[in-house]
Amino acid sequence: MIGQILGHCRILAKIGEGGMGTVYRAYDEVLHRDVAVKVVNKDARLDPSSSQRLLHEARASSSLAHPNICTIHDVGENEGEFYIVMELVEGKSLAAMAEVGGLAPESVLRYGVQIASALARAHDRGIVHRDLKAANILITNEGLVKVLDFGLAKQAGSGIFEGPTRSFATMEDTSSVSGTLPYMAPEILSGNADDHRSDLWALGVVLYEAASGRLPFEGRTGFEISSAILREIPNPLGPPVPPGLWAVIQRCLAKEPIQRYQRAGEVQAALEAVQSAAIVSPDPAAESTQPRTTILHSVRHAHVRKGDFLLLVGTTKGAFILRSNAQRTRWDVGGPYFHGHNVYSMAFDSRGGRHRIWASTQSYWGTLLRSSDDFGKSWTNPQQAPIRFPSDTGVSLKNIWQITLGRPDEPNVLYCGVEPAALFETRDAGESWSLVRGLFDHPHRPRWMPGNGGLALHTIVLDPANTQRMYVAVSAGGVYRTEDGGSTWTAQNQGIRVMFMPDKYPEFGQCVHKIALHPDRPERLFLQNHWGLYRSDNCGDKWTDIANGVPSDFGFSVVMHPRNPDCVYIIPVESDEFRCACDGRLRVYRTRNGGASWEPLARGLPQKGAYETVLRDAMTADSFDPVGLYFGTRSGQIFGSRDEGRTWQKIRDGFPSVLCVRNAVVEDGCVGLTPPATKPTAKHQTKGRSKSRTRRSSR
Amino acid sequence: MAIVFHIPGALREFTAGRSRVEIENPATTLADALSALWTIYPGVRDRIATEQGQVREHINIFIGQENTRYTGGLATPVAAGSEISIVPAVSGGCEDCAMPGGDVG
Repeated sequence: MIGQILGHCRILAKIGEGGMGTVYRAYDEVLHRDVAVKVVNKDARLDPSSSQRLLHEARASSSLAHPNICTIHDVGENEGEFYIVMELVEGKSLAAMAEVGGLAPESVLRYGVQIASALARAHDRGIVHRDLKAANILITNEGLVKVLDFGLAKQAGSGIFEGPTRSFATMEDTSSVSGTLPYMAPEILSGNADDHRSDLWALGVVLYEAASGRLPFEGRTGFEISSAILREIPNPLGPPVPPGLWAVIQRCLAKEPIQRYQRAGEVQAALEAVQSAAIVSPDPAAESTQPRTTILHSVRHAHVRKGDFLLLVGTTKGAFILRSNAQRTRWDVGGPYFHGHNVYSMAFDSRGGRHRIWASTQSYWGTLLRSSDDFGKSWTNPQQAPIRFPSDTGVSLKNIWQITLGRPDEPNVLYCGVEPAALFETRDAGESWSLVRGLFDHPHRPRWMPGNGGLALHTIVLDPANTQRMYVAVSAGGVYRTEDGGSTWTAQNQGIRVMFMPDKYPEFGQCVHKIALHPDRPERLFLQNHWGLYRSDNCGDKWTDIANGVPSDFGFSVVMHPRNPDCVYIIPVESDEFRCACDGRLRVYRTRNGGASWEPLARGLPQKGAYETVLRDAMTADSFDPVGLYFGTRSGQIFGSRDEGRTWQKIRDGFPSVLCVRNAVVEDGCVGLTPPATKPTAKHQTKGRSKSRTRRSSR
Repeated sequence: MAIVFHIPGALREFTAGRSRVEIENPATTLADALSALWTIYPGVRDRIATEQGQVREHINIFIGQENTRYTGGLATPVAAGSEISIVPAVSGGCEDCAMPGGDVG
């Protein structure tokens, strides 16, 4: 072979051999460059159709211009011999470099980012590697990664690429299966359909091997290796491997493809995050010695007594507590708390005898979930943000849009809906929070699109009758429902129109603004969409348009009457472009027949030049009889009605832009004088009535 | 010589009220210097950096008069005697942060 011409390449020297064929160093005499030429073994029994597919795929792969992908220049046949002309890469294989005890974590991260980047490019072009392994990854003398043999394995007939390696950097024993089998994903071994996520599994194996010098799944025979891949959990990698890197590897090695990263770009981002996380050095011992509570001395407080009625008002410049009694005629105001911060979500938690106010704060110093057990005199100010995305996600918290209490019989459970869209859960009253992976890993998530204010999960609704069922709403992703307590989620958007996509009724992607459920009819939901008002009578399986006689079906908030499941309140705004009360007339609309018709409620509200906007969480209903309703506007006015919306009064104005309004009745004890920074110690006997009266009102 | 941190008012709650923190540390980069700062005052960390270790979008960190955003970010070299100032963005940052998403559509 040496000295022969293949195409316009003169073969100079043999540099490697593998199961597929032999690799030579060659010189392209037309383009005057050094190349590598891989000649397929004649005994590979390439049938004509396999040959055609291989040619086709090699040509497709040659389009993958990427600095970390070894470029294929040409493919051809010469007297029945099939050959591939490719970029000549001088370096060592990752397998050889990792052989002795693994590489430094910095190197693993540096190479891992490049491999993931190469996979991302190929996958974007629809090309799956299918034989990624350390021996197929070369590291040049400059530290640049080159991934070899992209897309070749798929099209290879069974007789061609069965050998352990096709790399010309290492020459492995062709008689054993150990070359490739250890990188195979469980779904391949099980004979199930494989896709680009099988490459991400292989990447996990490569990273494990590079970090430790060992394969994650080992065995003396092919059977033992296969069993390990299908059933075993690899030995954990401890220091010096940083926990973040180990977390990325573990997620790549999830047995179920759906549990892995869904895209190579996500792996790349997660590895980059671990690289830069070198500046984050948690020191839990130091944390416990630091104060966790901020006592506010210079802020005016509301002195809260038993029987008081509270409005919790979150604004763009902080939170306020408006205090009154059951008459709701005189109000005093505590605050502003969190001076200058956005407060998108508040909640009052009276479960388990607490009097806890929750608030989310967002500023240039980050986003925190905070709480007060003494009606605002002191607030937790945790050293470490309690809600945070795990490092393997590569994602950072931008905002907390919703705080939702768990069910009454689980007083330590809370949920938070956040931006970027995700759901967090605590089961220990907020001491620790975890990302709900079932939703975060949903295959739709990468295709959710941000709305006007970002990609937010802003609504969480629990089914009171079915403890496993729960709904969330995402702008713009739509409604999702779980029937198994959060492990799996399905899109529930059938019948909801979108105006901003070619398909007006897609499976998901709807910009849902709010959903509400009535506890007496938990199968029924009401929904305010970005254009469109809907009702579902079957847990979101289908939605029916109920915009019958409203001046506009654009709006944000939907609030249920606490006792009448046919009664719903909304505040329409004129349009997407002009998000103000229709015709400058501030009117609440009410249906008392499940949406068959709507009536305006305007008495006492400004009806001229009132270009007001009421946001999705800025209206609330109390549990008095008759029901009281309250809402805040972007212009900082708070209005209330004590007679189910028939007449309205302005409670206060002059607030910053109102983001959320919640209400609570304080049932137990004189708690206004609770000493700061301590939690109430009295054991409150929680009565059923107390619970329902202090329950967060429907949204 | 020590590295000196100038702590803004909003973070002094986490530095025992100190506006100026001196750290004897052989840090060579800004990342090292910040790590040293929050080993002592851990509450500062999440206010300055995201959970993924990036300096927050609207926080500027100056070494002397230079905004490190333009001098290599966390890799910016730190020398003995460097004065490091942590400063929230003045205009755009504040409003950008305050206003988005009120009426997400």
